[in-house]
Amino acid sequence: MSGGDENPFGELLQDYVLECLPLAEQVADTFVDLERRWRAGDPADELLGSLAGRLHTVKGNSAMMGLTPAQETAHALEDACGLLRRSSEQRTDPAAALLIAGGGLLVDLVRQASPELDPGPAARYVERVRQWMQSEGPPAADTQAERRRTDRRGGGGGGDKADSVVRVDFRRLDALLEVLGEGLIQHSALGEAYRGLARRSGACEELERLDQTILALEKTLKRLESTLMETRLLPIASVFGRFPRMLRDTAEAEGKRVRLLQSGGETPLDKAVLDRLSEPLLHLVTNAIVHGMEPPDVRRLAGKPEEGTIRLDAAPHAGRVVIRVADDGRGLDEKAIRKKAEALGQELRDDEVVPLRSLIFLPGLSTAERVSRLAGRGVGLDVVAGAIHALGGTIDVETEPGKGTAFTLSLPVTLAIIRSLIVEIDHERFALPMAHVAETVRAEPDAIREINHRGVAQWRGDLIHVADGGAVLGTAAVNRAPRRFYVVMAAGGKRQALLVDRLVGHQDIVVKGLDPALGRPDVVSGTTILGDGRVACILDSVRILEGGRRAG
Amino acid sequence: MPVEERQIKAPLLGFADAMEARAVANTAPVPGPELHLLTFVLEREEFGVPVTQVREVIRVSDITRVPQAPAHVRGVANLRGRILAVVELRSRLGLPPADLTPRSRVVVVEVRGRVLGLLVDAVRQVTKVPEASVVPAPEEVISADVDYLRGVARWQSRLIILLDLEKALLPTE
Repeated sequence: MSGGDENPFGELLQDYVLECLPLAEQVADTFVDLERRWRAGDPADELLGSLAGRLHTVKGNSAMMGLTPAQETAHALEDACGLLRRSSEQRTDPAAALLIAGGGLLVDLVRQASPELDPGPAARYVERVRQWMQSEGPPAADTQAERRRTDRRGGGGGGDKADSVVRVDFRRLDALLEVLGEGLIQHSALGEAYRGLARRSGACEELERLDQTILALEKTLKRLESTLMETRLLPIASVFGRFPRMLRDTAEAEGKRVRLLQSGGETPLDKAVLDRLSEPLLHLVTNAIVHGMEPPDVRRLAGKPEEGTIRLDAAPHAGRVVIRVADDGRGLDEKAIRKKAEALGQELRDDEVVPLRSLIFLPGLSTAERVSRLAGRGVGLDVVAGAIHALGGTIDVETEPGKGTAFTLSLPVTLAIIRSLIVEIDHERFALPMAHVAETVRAEPDAIREINHRGVAQWRGDLIHVADGGAVLGTAAVNRAPRRFYVVMAAGGKRQALLVDRLVGHQDIVVKGLDPALGRPDVVSGTTILGDGRVACILDSVRILEGGRRAG
Repeated sequence: MPVEERQIKAPLLGFADAMEARAVANTAPVPGPELHLLTFVLEREEFGVPVTQVREVIRVSDITRVPQAPAHVRGVANLRGRILAVVELRSRLGLPPADLTPRSRVVVVEVRGRVLGLLVDAVRQVTKVPEASVVPAPEEVISADVDYLRGVARWQSRLIILLDLEKALLPTE
């Protein structure tokens, strides 16, 4: 394949692979899960629902890069999932097999990320999906012909981009942050040990010195933290910079004239925030062009300049960063939104307090009258809102008919992110900080024995206590499910295993606090919003480990 | 601290009957200042809270249980990126628990700067009642422990139990 040096898309293709490959892989994994759950008679609605946003992103980004086979495969999968979401009768083995085949194909296409790929496999797959859909239900709203209009862009660059890209610097920063986190935990353990010691032995000179040293250590760690956080900041222009080209292409495809004005590109944000921000921002800007902007002739008749304006402004505000995406288009059709929301089952009374902003972010709410290549396939602002929420941000909307629409995002400058293992216990999801996860083990039936009314198992030559997750969390009484795995947790020399039902995956989660109304639960240290918008509790592994020892 | 233990059970349900029993003739509308209320239903009774304390009403989405949380806390929900603690108002008021239905709603209220969700059986309406229609809660249902009833609005053959959200939600800990 040709080298990437003279290829203007080279870097963008690398970004594309970095962003889309994990999504495609998640989609492919989810299909496998679906097959298993359907076989078990579980409709798995939430899994199907979780696919839409990822497929939409892969499709949109592939279209942006001119990678038609990947785009069409993602599109076909979207159609198939859409049909399956509407009708549960079709959730059968053949359907799952079709999805799984498509998932594998999509992963391959995204990984290769080459405009020169043989379009054959994708075309054959799209045809397979089309035939399946015709035999299973009403045809999709859009036609093959519309999709074929997708222009092919030139440019070389091929090969396996995922292998050639290593973002060494930032990973090292991440690793540093992790080490710092461990340091902070060890510091608090040291403080606790000091207080215990002081209670026992009373004041003495050595204790005094220890106290001073622990205080000094805290200051050092804090300084390390703030320096590290600063190192991770990048100007938001690194995300904004991707938009002009994409805006031009989208506007052209839509037959619209749009200019982009930007300000505040120098505003610093943690790279981890930036990385997760580009997708929702892209979505908002695409929406503004596709839905917000009127065609030039309509604008002329309305007495507006034919060329529409989209403003992208960022500014620091009260320790957070506020980003505004504003267009001077037609504004949101509040009536249509309320009607659509009602159709979705949202009962609305005139006197009920239902602000527009709590409707527009509803799942499945899209007022687009037609389907287009880049937007308007029922994946709406709920996906954007979900992504922003998962970042610890908020999103709000203002709109005025005929004048335009503005979305305001407020985001934290840095994230309290912890790498976590998401587990399921009695149908509820919990996050376990990876810092204290030593290993996950499949719970074979005879691996756990009972000694003195406590479950124990062999682990690395030792006997460790195996506690039931449901019993620790009090969920077993509500909705007991079978335990299939145990997670070995280790911290401060203590080890214990927790029985769980399912390992959902690893995820960087944003830590949120506990409302005072929740009291002070022993086993929960905070909450987080998962990718699907649901709230999950973060388990306090250290406290659980301590409880385990106390009980023994 | 254990607020949920010292609750009335039956009396609240008999509230309307008790009020009916002491009904007096002066039910004619009285002009004057009005209370602007959002009313909702719990069990068979209609409750009202000042609209000024209501931020919005949302449908019940996924509410995540929080292990070891107080019994009257249903769990937490995602309100546009904020974590909203949802109080099971039934349990807080000593009513028996009930399943969620399509009519169940979360009334998002702000009390002394704190935003909380109240799980209710259904939201009825936003209404205005004359302040003069409010009478103190009957003594049968008032005990030393139950201080979150501000009174009862008798208005157009309706009885609306007025809740003092500050006392109901932020008991002195």
